[in-house]
Amino acid sequence: MAAVHEDDYDYLYKVVLVGDATVGKTHLLSRYIKGSLPKNPTATIGVEFATRTVPLAVGGTVKAQIWDTAGQERYRAITSAHYRRAVGALLVYDITREGTFKSCTKWMEELRQSAEPDIVIMLVGNKVDLVEKDPSLRQVYFDAAHEFAKLHGLIFEEASAVTSHNVKYIFEHLLQEIYDQTSKRREQQSIDNSNMVGGIQVAAIGPKNDSCDNSC
Amino acid sequence: MQSASSTGTQRSAKAQKFHRLLSLPTVDLAALRELLWSGAPEEDPKVRAQSWQMLLGYLPPVQDRQPSGLQKKREEYEELRRRHYLPVEAEAPSGDVDGAILRQIRLDIPRTSPGLPIFGHQRIQQLLERILFIWSLRHPASGYVQGINDLATPFVVVLLASELDCLPEEINVDAASDDTLDAVEAGAYWCLTKFLSDIQDHYTSGQPGIQQMVAKLREIVHRIDQKLYDHLEEQGLDFLQLSFRWMNCLLLREFPFPCVIRLWDTYIAEPLEGFSSFHVYVCAVFLIYWSPQLKQMDYQQLMLFMQKLPTGKWRNQEIETLLAEAFVLKSLFHSSPNHLNPR
Repeated sequence: MAAVHEDDYDYLYKVVLVGDATVGKTHLLSRYIKGSLPKNPTATIGVEFATRTVPLAVGGTVKAQIWDTAGQERYRAITSAHYRRAVGALLVYDITREGTFKSCTKWMEELRQSAEPDIVIMLVGNKVDLVEKDPSLRQVYFDAAHEFAKLHGLIFEEASAVTSHNVKYIFEHLLQEIYDQTSKRREQQSIDNSNMVGGIQVAAIGPKNDSCDNSC
Repeated sequence: MQSASSTGTQRSAKAQKFHRLLSLPTVDLAALRELLWSGAPEEDPKVRAQSWQMLLGYLPPVQDRQPSGLQKKREEYEELRRRHYLPVEAEAPSGDVDGAILRQIRLDIPRTSPGLPIFGHQRIQQLLERILFIWSLRHPASGYVQGINDLATPFVVVLLASELDCLPEEINVDAASDDTLDAVEAGAYWCLTKFLSDIQDHYTSGQPGIQQMVAKLREIVHRIDQKLYDHLEEQGLDFLQLSFRWMNCLLLREFPFPCVIRLWDTYIAEPLEGFSSFHVYVCAVFLIYWSPQLKQMDYQQLMLFMQKLPTGKWRNQEIETLLAEAFVLKSLFHSSPNHLNPR
């Protein structure tokens, strides 16, 4: 398969990473974007930004603009301003700290208030590696989180930034889901609206041109 | 440049000026401010520590009172430590607010390192934990906010280098006695407390202090580099996005650590109304420094560039240029305040 060029994409999706402080948001992002953990990890202040262009399994190529946010309560006023126009979110908690899972309700409500109303949310239980080493550390059971996700219409998976387990999957499954849901909506709408994706105008980008035929 | 060990034999002209001033029975604080504004001598760690501590009200300017003054402050801190920290020291954080603060501090301490290995040392980590926890309990309006851990580090380094009489990069924590570390801890606590008192509203609910500074930065850039301002507007880049961390961590994350220390010489020497207004001018000059590049970038390039500016090789010289330009800018705006009228 031909390499995907950074600027050769069909859709632009804005995705936010949210969740309590120190659940591993920046680690997940770094693992996904750079393939490694941050060299000198520090607490994220405000928001940080990264992008990646991803060929979807179905539907073409997506450019994800990923916003990594500070998790601490005090930053909420600043960070929630960045939820605007987000079409997807990774809502992360730490499976070894129950409090971070309990906060997910609050995070979810905030996302649905400030982002796009039909934002696709992927619930992620991070730090599976710790539990693999010592099962007694687990404070949030898979089934409990799964139940919570089902109840609130979230996608769910556990992952580990440290071992890379499921990291690529959580990001790309979310992007695929956003694509599937928006294309379903698009089919229901008129052709005229086809260049609106989750509120972001991508008219200039539009559907992929002919060169795609060679690479797809 | 001289090494710390050669001080005393051949002092630089700058160090001589400081020594002359600091050896008087009563130090003229206005004169000290003026000297420190242009930077403390790098080769003489005691001079910087003394100047910082004196201008931050920790070390009395009257020499005769210094031993008793320091003693009193150290006892006060000991008392705070006994009252606030001792009860939680050995325990797992409780479920209440204080417990949540302690838990967050403990999570942040291992990732507090301005590029210096001493912050990986257990003794320094414990010292930092106590400073931050006690400060947070004493300032409940803000409590502990991530980033304050960063702001404590320059005080720890400057005071420790002075106590051990070595350059910051030569600090050997194992060589420090418990008493030395206790002295550093008390000093760093009081200096941090004074330093943050000017900017506590940076860290209270909604972070109003930061919002105001960002608004002011925006206004200054609008006035002096309209093309850059228009370009950022056109690209949809919000000033809050690009400068939030600059305000929240006082540029500590944007420069190599020695440059931050040099920057803070000037901040601590700023007049009594506080360094925070000057900081905005420094940020404005810093932003405009990159203007030629920024104007060529689109939104995404801007975001990526701004969050990791190529300052890794910066030295004091670059910082001093920024400071000089910021000073000119501030004078300009202060002489015609309407320039900064937010309406």
